[in-house]
Parts: sequence; structure tokens; C-alpha cells
Amino acid sequence: MNTLRTVLAAVGEGRIHGGWEYVKAAYAICWTGLSLYALSLWIRSRRSEGVK
Amino acid sequence: MLQKSRNSGPVAAVRAFAGHPLVQRAFVVGTVAVFVYAAWVGLTQAPPDREMGDVQRIMYAHVPMVQMMLLAGTITFVCSVLYLFRASWKTDALAEASAELALVFGAIGTTLGAIWGRPTWGVYWAWDPRLTTVAILLVALAGYLALRRFVDDPERRAVWASVTGIVIAVDVPVIYFSVKWWKSLHQVQSNPRTVDPDMVHALRWNILAFFLLFIVFLVVRYRIALAARIREVTVPEIEPRGREAVAS
Repeated sequence: MNTLRTVLAAVGEGRIHGGWEYVKAAYAICWTGLSLYALSLWIRSRRSEGVK
Repeated sequence: MLQKSRNSGPVAAVRAFAGHPLVQRAFVVGTVAVFVYAAWVGLTQAPPDREMGDVQRIMYAHVPMVQMMLLAGTITFVCSVLYLFRASWKTDALAEASAELALVFGAIGTTLGAIWGRPTWGVYWAWDPRLTTVAILLVALAGYLALRRFVDDPERRAVWASVTGIVIAVDVPVIYFSVKWWKSLHQVQSNPRTVDPDMVHALRWNILAFFLLFIVFLVVRYRIALAARIREVTVPEIEPRGREAVAS
């Protein structure tokens, strides 16, 4: 019986519990990346207007 | 080579309306508001997936990002073809802008996919058909943008970039169909019939938010590229000292 429990525990139930750290990391990278790109566009746009 | 815009009719009216600074600021503010709302819906209101749990919420950023990459790649292809048929600095500038956006959205979207892959597949990266074809596109786009920096002559650069853009864009449909053509670790495309309605609602809001952001980025980047092109091809006026030197 104990062996069966050990085996079932190892197999798991096929569901992911938790995982918010992955969600937070993904959204942080997404928002930071897009913000940095927006900043780079703003700087290049200002520089482009200055050259005119 | 530069083509004159039409200054009359409904097109001019729409252009004048869209070009008004107040309208542009309102569009940017609206985009940010939709973005915040969409993120709130995706992170807090949509239900967790039956098997993936809350990790599945990465989908609300990953899927729109990759969709924008494919859209940008398609715009690059169309502009490249148009340039070869009818040379215009506008289509060349739009091709450059869309290629850069494809690289930015693709790189971030792929990173999000890798983070999603760790808890669901067990690995951040696998040389699966979908991931491999996306990696090829990203490397090719980096090469395309590098090519644009290496060639000094604007006309030659535009022609070479157009040909390269068309070759690169062949990968766009391959990426889309890769999960159907080959056995892939990546899932096939979902549709509203196979997904919970609350998830569809959140996904549609996020697609709208990323699309609006894409439009803002594309317009700003296009203007930068077009201004640079016009500076390159405009003959500089001769300075007074230069005139004297020419006269003597």
C-alpha cells in the first residue's frame, strides 16, 4: 500500500499547482521590454525632430 | 522618387484628423487604458486552466505578442513587394519599421513562451518545429536590420532590403502551419469553441491592447525611418561660404 502511494505521488495528478512566479517573471519581462522599446522610440523620435 | 500626397478629399481629412496632436495623445492614453484593463482581466478575472493552473495566464501576453510578430512580418513582406514594383521611400520606411517591430515583439513573445514551457514541458527550450522556425525568423530579422545599416546608398539599400524581406517572410506561414505540418511539442492553434468563454474574453481584450500598442509603435518608428530617408536623399543647401568658394 505504501509502495502504491509512493508511486502515485511520483506520477502526480497531471496538474500544475502554483506557478505564479513564472507568471510574474513573464509579465515583468514583457512590460519592461515594451517600456524600454517605447523609451528608445521616444529618444530616437526627439533626436529625429532635433535634426530637422 | 518621393511621391506627393494628395491634399484634398476624405483621405486628406482623415489624415489631418489623425495627425492632430490632441487625437494622437488621446489614442496613446486610450491604448494604455485598454492595456491596463486587459492585463487586469487576464491576471485576475480569467479562470485558471484545468491542467496548467495559473501558469496558463502567460498566454494572454505570449499569444498577442507572437501574433503581432506575424503581422509585422506580413507588413514587411507586402512593403518589400510594393517597393520592387513601385519604388517609394514610404514603403521602404514602413518595411524597416515593421521588421524592427517583428524582431522586438518576436523576441519578447518567444521569451514568454520559454518561461511558459518550463513548468508545462519541463524545459525552457526545445528544438521543436514551431520554436525552431521562430528562431530562424528572429535571426533573419536581425540580419535584415544589420543589412540596412551596412549599405550606404539609400536606393541600393532599399532594393536589397526588399529582396531580403521577401525571402525572410517565407518563414511567416511556415511558423503558422508548423504545428499542423509536423509533430510538435507546441500545441496547435486554439479556437473559441475549444476554450472557456471567459478565457476567450480575456484573450480578445489582450489582443486588442497589443494591437493598439503595435499601431502606436509602428507609426512612431515609421516616422523616424521616413525622416531619416528624406534627410539622406535631400540635397543640402549650399552655405554662403560654400557659394563663394564655388564662385571663386
